[in-house]
Amino acid sequence: MSELHLTPPHLMHPEYPQETAMSEAKKIEVKNLNFYYGNFHALKNINMDIPDNRVTAFIGPSGCGKSTLLRTFNRMYQLYPKQVAKGEIILDGENVLDAKQDLNLLRAKVGMVFQKPTPFPMSIYDNIAFGIKLYENLKKTDLNDRVEWALRKAALWNEVKDKLDQSGTSLSGGQQQRLCIARGIAVKPEVLLLDEPCSALDPISTARIEELIHELKTDYTIVIVTHNMQQAARVSDYTAYMYLGELIEFGVTDMMFTKPARRETEDYITGKFG
Amino acid sequence: MSQPTPRNSHALLDTLFHNTTRLFAFLVLALLMGIMVTLTVASLPALKSFGFHFFVSDEWNPVTQQFGAVVPIFGTVATSVIAMLIGVPVSFGIALFITELCPAWLKRPLGIAIELLAGIPSIIYGMWGLFVFAPWFADHLEPWINDHMSTLPLVGHFFEGPPMGIGMLTAGFILAIMVIPFIASVMRDVFEVVPPMLKESAYGLGSTTWEVVWNVVLPYTKVGVVGGIMLGLGRALGETMAVTFVIGNAHELSMSLLMPGNTISSALANEFTEAVGDLYTSSLITLGMLLFVITFIVLALAKLLLIKLASREGKQS
Repeated sequence: MSELHLTPPHLMHPEYPQETAMSEAKKIEVKNLNFYYGNFHALKNINMDIPDNRVTAFIGPSGCGKSTLLRTFNRMYQLYPKQVAKGEIILDGENVLDAKQDLNLLRAKVGMVFQKPTPFPMSIYDNIAFGIKLYENLKKTDLNDRVEWALRKAALWNEVKDKLDQSGTSLSGGQQQRLCIARGIAVKPEVLLLDEPCSALDPISTARIEELIHELKTDYTIVIVTHNMQQAARVSDYTAYMYLGELIEFGVTDMMFTKPARRETEDYITGKFG
Repeated sequence: MSQPTPRNSHALLDTLFHNTTRLFAFLVLALLMGIMVTLTVASLPALKSFGFHFFVSDEWNPVTQQFGAVVPIFGTVATSVIAMLIGVPVSFGIALFITELCPAWLKRPLGIAIELLAGIPSIIYGMWGLFVFAPWFADHLEPWINDHMSTLPLVGHFFEGPPMGIGMLTAGFILAIMVIPFIASVMRDVFEVVPPMLKESAYGLGSTTWEVVWNVVLPYTKVGVVGGIMLGLGRALGETMAVTFVIGNAHELSMSLLMPGNTISSALANEFTEAVGDLYTSSLITLGMLLFVITFIVLALAKLLLIKLASREGKQS
């Protein structure tokens, strides 16, 4: 257990001295990360540690770089030309940004769920089995078990167990998003990146996904980007507030929402701007 | 001042518009029916005279007035199959490269090149095929095919025969070159409309580009891809000028693809001007109708294929 890299004391709000950081195992260490879209400097010298088996939320106004930061963790940005990340992202002691990093293995280890549900054009069963088959050669019965396990984990099994051969696109929006989460955990990743997973969902589906996030954190390190501050307060253990490509404050969620260390965070959280 | 009556004039315009568009739409049906009736009526003499024998006979003798459709049907199907076997994988590769792998600066030049290739008139392909491609084919590729492929089991017979340069294989190659720009540009267009997020979620599971394209992009775009292939196949089946130049126009049935042959459209183009007598003309028109039927069957098969593919993706509840 080492000290988590939270906002250093000298940057803290003078009126509310922050308590000492909790001791947590770190899963991801971000060191001096800079990100560029062509000439645009989108992330400015980010330093933070993502704790293991916790939910970490990134909040901030649109365009602040929170999704960009998330997409560096599995190097999804690399699909597009002219997007460059500099610095270090250490995942389990290995630098993710290293040119020698095997991208496919990295992405199998760091799963991702997107703003909108993206079921593949295949049956519900195959949607889950697809990712598993990429890396494991399971027997039919084991594969069935794994699909069931993933769907149960994503709280979808009872709704789809009788129609596994139906198209994934025939499900409702909330079910599709849980299908995508099930697909993500079926390959047994260690980290799960959620990029505004509830932005296209109704409140009831959102509540189910939030419950799910709560249950999943016992097994996974979860990083969630959200526009919804209440959501961040509800689901996360740690919160990072970003603004204009900079990490303004990073701390324990309860603390951030009650006694933020910095004025800018307080202004955003209390709705003075944003 | 009278009461304004805009609604009435709008309603009149709407009715007029409605009926005009309907007229245009029904014009399509009328044209189709007209062509079918014309072809059927004009082919009656040949069908009466030869009956079913016309479809199974490989004889084509204007002197004795004996006609059969097997040679042109075989030629049409064989050249189109060759064109598709070569054209579809190459087009898929082109579209895949342009949409997924190509550096941004190369995308436009490649796209423009494909469109230009699609715009070249078929007569140019025919001339180029006859004067440049066929001799090169005879000197280089056909001897190799003779040596290496005629010994293959089952398909070996297709590759026996003298390396003359002109023949069904050459026609198939030329057709492949002609259909590639069509199929490739349709495939590129449909690959480009795949939502980036859908591809990202497949990459996000650790898929390689090939796995993403094969398992996600292709199923997602299947209607467009099959449509593009059908567009190319339609062109290959009906292409006249380029094929006439290089196929050799011989009414002889030969298993060898290196031998000259004939397709329905090249037979029509070559022989209509010198068709003497009603039976000869009627036989040619029956060939034309057969091409129509083949095209129809191909379209029907494509529809069936799409239904089968859709069922493989799971029932739509």
